Amino acid sequence: MSENRASASRDWARSLRRALVYPLTSDVRLLSAAVGTALTYVVLVLSSFPQFSVQVLTNDPADVVYAVSALTREVYLSTGALGLTLVTGYAVLTGIATTNALALVRRARRRGASTIVGVVPGVIAAGCASCGAGVLGALGFVGAMAALPFDGNLLRVGGIVLLLFFLARAGDPRTCSIDPT
Amino acid sequence: MFGSGVGYVASQSGASEQHYVPATSHGSTETTSFGVELAGRPIAGERDAVVDIYYWTDYLCPFCKKFETETFPDIGRHYLDTGDARLVVLSYPNIGQYSTPAAVWGRCVWSQVADSNPGAFWNWHSAVFDEQSESGTDWADDETFTQVTERTDDVDVSSVDTCREERENAIRESMDPNLDVAQEARIRGTPGFVIYNRESGAAGKLVGAHPYENFADAIDQVMEA
Repeated sequence: MSENRASASRDWARSLRRALVYPLTSDVRLLSAAVGTALTYVVLVLSSFPQFSVQVLTNDPADVVYAVSALTREVYLSTGALGLTLVTGYAVLTGIATTNALALVRRARRRGASTIVGVVPGVIAAGCASCGAGVLGALGFVGAMAALPFDGNLLRVGGIVLLLFFLARAGDPRTCSIDPT
Repeated sequence: MFGSGVGYVASQSGASEQHYVPATSHGSTETTSFGVELAGRPIAGERDAVVDIYYWTDYLCPFCKKFETETFPDIGRHYLDTGDARLVVLSYPNIGQYSTPAAVWGRCVWSQVADSNPGAFWNWHSAVFDEQSESGTDWADDETFTQVTERTDDVDVSSVDTCREERENAIRESMDPNLDVAQEARIRGTPGFVIYNRESGAAGKLVGAHPYENFADAIDQVMEA
């Protein structure tokens, strides 16, 4: 019984490792993950004080750098190094998950799905048959947790654990298939 | 009733940052036509300035410290000391458990020095923001505020303590009407500002530690509206 559990744990760890390193397998994937990470970080940090962010960006969109740097400092001062680390970690995992989800979609299209419209619902709603829950489906739920306005460190930890869970279930997107609709 | 002050950026001994001390400060017992009760609140600038800047703050708020150190001195030099605007310090306790006691400290320090040496309040005000630590709100307690008060010239700790003991509940209750004004203005965090033209009734809102240019634009627009 315990052997089965240990084996299952090893499988999860291996699957998670494969999911995490997938963006490192090409320059384009790495760039995709980097863009996803940067966008997620900006959205998370700006959402920490939405009224301020909206006013700054409305006044001059070029001030986004000021807003992000000011609010990064605010996040650090109000939630500590741990809070900032969690936000950054969440952004990195989201960048990886987005890249992996895009790979799933492309793979499904190659396997016969004629349009993106035919693939996306499967990924968002249920995920591919062999992967379980959809990665993109996790992003909305986990993102909502990370952006909640009250004391967020515990929730951010929860969000990161969930992201890791979904990434591990999906594993390497090259070995996961989506049944075309 | 007008307090005299010195219109320059003063530096406190031992402090690494420069602090702005308004050229003039005053108190008032009026309620402005925007609905803000001024009694017991520190007001920087001339009594007859056309523009009011209502500044909701919390001594435990890091973003408020950013405003205080990076923007307030410029606003002071260009709008308060010139007589164009006045700035009213209003409490918006929202960061930590000591936010409300800190606000009571501020009101009691002001009540003690408002008539005799209002500049002392601004020195105390800056010194409290200097006490903010790198992270968290643990720094804020009776001991720290007592030490800051003891270090500030012309502020008598025993008088402030007496005020805190005797008037704490009254001061807490008196914060509510101006907090209602902030809520009506849909200010959801600190620092929050309403810029109000007392002659025309025009008003604008800024939330957060905007760069000085944004404040200047907003004040100019409200002044001309």
